This record gives sequence, structure tokens and C-alpha cells, in this order.
Amino acid sequence: MKNLTVSASPHVVQKNKTTRGIMLDVLIALAPALVMAVLYFGYHVLLNAIVCMGSCFAFELLYTLILKKDFSKKAVKSSSCWDCSCLVTGLILALNLPRVITVKSWDFNVYRAMPNIEGVRAVDYVAFSGDTLILCVVASLVAIVLIKMLFGGIGKNFANPAATARVFLFLAFGLTWANTTGLGNVLPASTGATWLSGDKLTNADNLFVNLFIGNRGAAAAGETCMIALAVGYLYLSIRKVIDFRIPLIIVGSAAVFALLFDGLPNKLSGARLINNMAAHVMSGGLVFGSVFMATDYSTSPNTFWGNVLFGVGIALFTMLIRVFGGYPEGMSFAILIMNAAVPLIDKFIYPRPFGYFKKPKEKPLKTPDSPLPYNETEKGGIKA
Amino acid sequence: METFPHGIHPKGNKERSANAAVSEFSTPEIVAVPLSQHAGKAAIAAVSKGDYVKVGQKLGEADGAISAAVFSSVSGEVTAIEKRPTATGHCEHVIIKNDGKYDEEKLAPLKNPAPEQIVRRIADCGIVGMGGAGFPTAVKLAPRDKVDTLIINAAECEPYLTCDYRILKEYPREFLLGARYIAAALGLENFFVGLEANKADAAELLEKTASDNGISAKTVLCHTKYPQGAEKQLIYAVTKRKVRVGKLPSNVGVIVCNVHTALSVFYAVEEGEKSYKRIVTVSGGGVKTPANFWIRTGTPVSTVLDACGGIGDDAVKLLIGGPMMGFAQSNGDISVTKTTSGILLLTADEVNSEQSGPCINCASCVKACPMKLMPVYIDACILSGDVSGAEKYGAMNCIECGSCAFVCPARRPLVQSMRLAKKKIREKGGKR
Repeated sequence: MKNLTVSASPHVVQKNKTTRGIMLDVLIALAPALVMAVLYFGYHVLLNAIVCMGSCFAFELLYTLILKKDFSKKAVKSSSCWDCSCLVTGLILALNLPRVITVKSWDFNVYRAMPNIEGVRAVDYVAFSGDTLILCVVASLVAIVLIKMLFGGIGKNFANPAATARVFLFLAFGLTWANTTGLGNVLPASTGATWLSGDKLTNADNLFVNLFIGNRGAAAAGETCMIALAVGYLYLSIRKVIDFRIPLIIVGSAAVFALLFDGLPNKLSGARLINNMAAHVMSGGLVFGSVFMATDYSTSPNTFWGNVLFGVGIALFTMLIRVFGGYPEGMSFAILIMNAAVPLIDKFIYPRPFGYFKKPKEKPLKTPDSPLPYNETEKGGIKA
Repeated sequence: METFPHGIHPKGNKERSANAAVSEFSTPEIVAVPLSQHAGKAAIAAVSKGDYVKVGQKLGEADGAISAAVFSSVSGEVTAIEKRPTATGHCEHVIIKNDGKYDEEKLAPLKNPAPEQIVRRIADCGIVGMGGAGFPTAVKLAPRDKVDTLIINAAECEPYLTCDYRILKEYPREFLLGARYIAAALGLENFFVGLEANKADAAELLEKTASDNGISAKTVLCHTKYPQGAEKQLIYAVTKRKVRVGKLPSNVGVIVCNVHTALSVFYAVEEGEKSYKRIVTVSGGGVKTPANFWIRTGTPVSTVLDACGGIGDDAVKLLIGGPMMGFAQSNGDISVTKTTSGILLLTADEVNSEQSGPCINCASCVKACPMKLMPVYIDACILSGDVSGAEKYGAMNCIECGSCAFVCPARRPLVQSMRLAKKKIREKGGKR
């Protein structure tokens, strides 16, 4: 008689849900945002995405091979890079970058022409940006090696790799979104915080529609088109990859904070107030970050209420940075700040077992009154 | 419809054997009756080699308070008493050569029994909880607290298993009368029957039978969700009472009994028949003809499988019980007992054969756990040797239902971690 497998229960599993399947779901959900980014910002975005995903994959593979000191085919096959989480990191990173980044001292950019259009600078018409591609590789190195793998790989990293890499570029290379005008450009291409509360914005025609379809400049590539992000959000919610409530909580509380910090203090009212709130919510990386980055498994709390606290914290810090801070874009900083708070949240917010009850506090038994010290009674100072 | 928070939705696969009527399984030449078919201490052998035994004759005497008597399932000569493997370990087996006559030794039927008589009869017939745990029913029916509700657990939430469903369909009168005897033993007039929604037809039949026979039974349909049949979860679904951590269900005035237990009680009281056979579901992708059998205890599992087409080449796992909480066996050389609800032969497509990967912190297990624990942290804590951390996240409350490991996308063996954590906490002297 042949020997059968013996193992502990349970013997059946949910076959259609695997780590790789979840990562592929996220990639599919990011696809509409990528397509719209390519439509709005041109082929540069696609190039960035390919370079980011490729280098993220290569770095993870190399990291595992070097640490194992084994370069055989078997080691390549068993490397953790095949779970595709590195591709998700790469794509989110690429969609978080502007379409071109220029570093003055390097300048590997090929100029096509110097168009004589008023207000539009030459870099808007870069044919091929070598600087951007180099920075993509550097950012992937930071994201995968420094943030993800050094802390223990998938599920162990404390900070979101893509957000950290973006902030790294921001601080180290002066990454800005100022010179990344899209093809259709209705909003003045200046840095965010100043125009969010200004008059220019609230007077713009069709603000809602343009913000919604992503027809605006001055942005990271993937974050503009609300429709594409909504499609991705719906897909992830239906596939139960993310909890559908969390992005809604972040966006909702961000709208409230925008009202409190920006709309009301600036004495806006009526349509301008609504426009201001809409601009805060739909511009910048808020929606993209709340759908794809704040719901990252390893850097968010493990309970629903922990996630609510996490989401409200992200919205609060985003709005604080946008309205009172010096940076135009607060989302990635807010995510990183709240990432650091996750262990604290998880320490205090965890579910009580089914049927848990608080033990009634036992009152300490009243100790019998201690007899007064002999000498005091003798003196007659204190009498019972 | 009633239910409990969290839980999972595994594929039922009950259609394979749901419509197979229960048939008598022809008992083989040699049977090996284990003396430990229940929770608690194993029975002490009451026969010796060479004795002639009848059907229903006592083979093993209950040892202590939490134990149950074991009875012969065939008539014939005892050829040996030896240690053999069971589904979960080893125990003494009484090996009997079946003479095929089935001379039966029965007790006198009881007419209008008093509660104490019923409990006495249940103990005399060696009836144990036949859902799988095998807790002696007579002990259960003598609770310390006042009980005001009896729930008959007909949820049968384990995939594949259909033995309880067949009882509801084929023996509704016997089952309901048996349940009424249990209720009477507790001094109750009426009782609840908790079913999953996929057994709605059985619920209708039960209601009809109950009204025909004047039995005040209330059927409660619950969501088809695993583990709906877990004791605390079913109590919550039916009565909305929460059994407190570390307490027995009788603490909230509830007793839960399995369907098959109720059926056995009926036969014990009305016919004086002892508990020596049960209905077993034989199913799974590796079984050619899925079936439900009345099988006498001590029948080797391999004989049962041979009758259903044998162990094919595509079979990779043999399970005693359901696929969520059952025990995998390396071969069929073990005996059917009072608690064997199913014999499953599963193929590679059905079982999990993947290697476990690193935890991705997705918290699926947290959303699935019906006891509201944090398997993700208990796993991490116990693997890094942090016993008090595992205790903090409630490892001692785990019911080992397997929901967490079922949903885990990284295929982590979370239930094993839970068992390890429980063992370590007990060693440390910790409590719930």
C-alpha cells in the first residue's frame, strides 16, 4: 500500500489566494493609472515604469543570491523575487515620480527643440531623459535593498519602500513636480500648497471635471486621473485585496481636515469652499496614496480600528504639511510618519478574544484601623 | 439568518455524498475495537483473550469520571488484546473474530423515563459526543450550572461530511425523539436545532416531523459559514449569548449536543441498544463511489475504502474526520470509532501541497478568526520564543478550527503554531 501524506490540519486552503496572486491583483489595479499616466505625460512614464520594475526585480534577485552565496539555477528559482511584490514596489515608485527629473550636474538629457512658447520651459520637451532613468535605478536600490530587504524582506519592512524612495529623491536630488507639465494643462504649473488656497484655482473653469479626469499639470505621473484610480480601487475592493473602508476613511478625513485647516481659516464660502476641498482631495498623491500605499499590508496596522487611526493620522499629517508646512506634497511624508507609528498602534489596538470580559476589579479589603502609636496616645495628642 | 462574527467560506463539496442513502456496511472477518474512543481516560479491558463476546457486550469499563464504556460491535471470539495505532495515537484494541451471527445483548427499553434514568442509560450505553470530540455525554448532561437551553448541533460545517445531513433526512423522527430525551434529562421541554442554510430542506422536514409528533423543536437556520458548528459560535448564533473565556457553555445555561448523539440516545432509551456503530461519510476526490454507511466500530478503514473503490494512485491524503480539523493518516490500518464522522480520500488538487512562505502581514487570519485572536502575532511570537506574547494575543482561546491557515496566502502552518503556543503556555503554567 502506498504511503500517504501526513500533515497537521487544516488540509484544504483557499487556493485562489496566494501571495503572488495578491501582488498580481495590485499590478492589475495599477494598470489603468499607468495607462492614463502614459496618455497624459507621454512615453517617459512607461520608460520609467519599465526601468523601476526591472531594477527592483533585479535588486531583489541579486540581494537574495548574494546573501545565500549561491548563484545556481535552483537558487534563482527559489528567490523571493518571484512573488512579484518587487514589481508592485517598482510600479508604485514609477507612478510616484514626475515624468522627467533633471539633475543639473549630470544632464544626460537629450533636447528635442527649444519651443518658443511662453511660460513653458525647455525641459518639458525632453526627448530622452537619462537623468530620470538613473534616478529610477537609484530609487529602486533604496526601496528594495535599504528599506525592504535589509529589514527582512516582504512583510517585515516597517516603512513603505516606494514612499521612502520618493522622499529620498525629494530630499537628495530636489525632486519637484514644477516642470512636469502634462499635455493638457489647465492649472498653473506652480508648486502645490500655494495654489491650493489661491484665487486662481477657485476661478478655474471646469475644475471638478479636469481634476477628476486628471487633466492637470504639476503632478507625479500616476496620481492625476481619479477615474483610473477609482477603477483600481474598485478592483482591489472586489477582489478583497484591501479593506474598501480604509481609502474612504483617509479621503473623507482629509476633506474634513482641508475644511478645518484651509477652507474655513481663509474665509472661503460656497462654491469656493467646495472647490478648495475638492482640490485638496483630488490633487497631489492623496487618492493614489490612500488606495495603493496606505493599504500596504506590512506597513499598516492589522486591525480595522488600528487602520482607522492610521488613516486619520495620514490625512491629518498630509493636511498639516500641505497647509502649514513648506512642502507642496505631504502625502508621502504623512505615510512615512504613520508607518513609524504602526508598531505603537498594533501594540495597543488588538482584538479581545470572543467571550472576553473585563474581570471586575477586586476591591482591596479594608484593613482594620491600626492602633495609634503608643507614645502619641500617652501624650494625649491624638485620641481615638 | 443568524451567524457569528468572522469565519470563512470553504468549498462545501457535500454534493458528492449528500444524496447517497445510508446503507449497512458489511463487517469484515476481524474487527479491532479501540478502548479509547472518547475524550478522557481510555476504558479498561473487561474481557480477556479467548472469551466469546456478543454484540453490545462490554469490552471496556469506563475508567474514572471522564471516560466511557466500550462495547463489542460483533459477536465472536476475542483473539487478542494489543496496542495498535488510532487516528491520533495508540491505545489498547480488542481484536475479535467475527462469527457473523450478531447475537445481541440489549438492555430493557425505558418507558417514560425520569431524567436520572436517561442519564444513567446514556452512561450505560457508552454514548459520547459523536461530532468528533467524543466527550462523554452522561458527564455533559450533569452540569454544575443551571441549564435553560439545549441546542442540537446539526450545522455540519466541515466540508465533505454529510452523515448528520443523512440522519436529518432519513431518521428525523428518531433524531427528534432522541433530542427530546436529552432535553428531558436536563429538565427542559423544548430545544433548538441549529443548521446551516445549505440544509434548508432538512430543516423543513424536521419542522414537519416535529409538528406531526408533537415535539416542540425550533430549527434555527444559520449562514453557511465555517466554523458554524463550533460550540461557542453556534451558541452565539442561536441564542446571542457569549460563552466567557475559559468557561463551559453551561456557564451561560446552554448545552450543545450533536445530531448523531441524539440519534444514539434514542436507540439507547427506546431499544436499549448500546453505542457500537455509527454513520460514516466516505467521500473525497480519491473515492470512486462516495457513500454514507452504518459502520460497526472496529472495522478497519482500509476495508471501508476498498468497498468504495480502494486507494487510487491519485489519492494523496487519507483523513479521519473533515478536511478542516480531521487527522491525516499514512495508511488505512486504523479502526472506525464512535467519533469517526468521515473517511476522506483527497487528491492533490483538493489538498494544500504548497510550501509555506514568509508572512506578508495581510491580516487575513485576523479577519477570519472566529475567536477574534491574532494568529499573525501568535505565530510570530511563538516562533521567536516569546511565550508571554503569544498568551497576550489569546493563544489559549484557539479552537484549532483552521480558519486562519485556510485563508493564509503565504500558506503558513498557523494551527501548528497555535498548538505549539498552547503547549508552551501550559508548560509555563499560564491560563486563558
